[in-house]
Amino acid sequence: MEEIFVPALGVSAENVYLQKWLKAPGDAVQPGEAIAIVETDKAELEITSNTAGIMGKHLFNEDTDVAVGITICVLLHEGETEN
Amino acid sequence: MTEPGQAKDFLSQMILIREFETIAEGLTLRGKVPGGMHNSSGQEAVAVGVMAALKDEDAIASTHRSHHHSIARGMSTQSMMAELFTKSTGCSRGRGGSMHLVDLSRNYFGGNGIVGAGVSIAMGLALGIHILKKNSIAVGFMGDGAINTGRTWESINMAVIWNLPLLIVIDNNQYAVETFMDRVTGGKDFVARAKSFGMSAEVIDGQNVEEVYEATARARERILAGEGPQLINAVTYRYFGHNVGEVGKYRTQEEISDWKSNKDPIDNWISNLLAKKMITEDEISEIRENAKLEIGKAVEFAEASPFPDTNTVADDVDSGSLLRQL
Repeated sequence: MEEIFVPALGVSAENVYLQKWLKAPGDAVQPGEAIAIVETDKAELEITSNTAGIMGKHLFNEDTDVAVGITICVLLHEGETEN
Repeated sequence: MTEPGQAKDFLSQMILIREFETIAEGLTLRGKVPGGMHNSSGQEAVAVGVMAALKDEDAIASTHRSHHHSIARGMSTQSMMAELFTKSTGCSRGRGGSMHLVDLSRNYFGGNGIVGAGVSIAMGLALGIHILKKNSIAVGFMGDGAINTGRTWESINMAVIWNLPLLIVIDNNQYAVETFMDRVTGGKDFVARAKSFGMSAEVIDGQNVEEVYEATARARERILAGEGPQLINAVTYRYFGHNVGEVGKYRTQEEISDWKSNKDPIDNWISNLLAKKMITEDEISEIRENAKLEIGKAVEFAEASPFPDTNTVADDVDSGSLLRQL
């Protein structure tokens, strides 16, 4: 299972704005594929996967603020199920 | 040829560095490391080879990317990790973060945030050694980006005219942040530029820990024999971005994969030792397990430690407050 989270990229760890989900629960995701778009105070940023897997539930809705470092969804690998 | 004990030490240290960086990278992305960090994965052999050839009495100044130098000099990974977390138990009492890892008890003057400053600090340390007539050397690390910085050559020039006991090591990962050095370096040849200042210089394979160790030992001997400043250009590669979280599109996946799969300093050293029957697979597993345990403990220590007391915010900001604590 890969936990997808908003990485801390700036000097301060603040909230970012979850603009759009690019993948829905159940979608297949390839390594390096964009899963969501977030906005920081400086830039728009794609959240990407490191591994291949199946999208789990969206843990946050679009158009909400998300804390940096918090898991926003998981990618399920073969044989895994979400809690 | 390296002795078996030392050969295993080289491997243990490189694996410990890789483990520290891997864990610290993940924690930084999760927002646990204020100010971020510069990952040295891929560059372990430069740090381990250089430090192994130095003595306790030698003085060292590092760069913004200093975790590998700090571990190779023998710093406590607990005090390092706590410093990354900016906790009061960190080596700089939580004031400095990743770029200010320091351990004066090891003559290790640590990292800094200024391009090329490790060269200037080491030049000053070398001047001190010269004035006090000590039988030791000063070592300044620099990144490749510092090759085009004025203070680098001002410092080297002074070291040459005063014949100071100074060794400069270029921890040359070939990219100054996002810029490939060949594109921005007149003449392209770091060694030729160093020689034009009247010092000895050589280029070496920075992925081969034994080659780094031997080159450093040779340079140290020449310096102690009074031959003046020396420069080693150790060509290496960083596996991650300039800083953690950097979105890097300036290097091809092919180039990164080639370095990781064909030139990895840890994998190559393991192959070398296995071929010479100087280590067993069990010993390698044990080394990896010990590294995981040590870094796990370092993270626990950092997590459990308190942030500095806000009442101490004015401490350490001038020499007076430092002196009052003595």
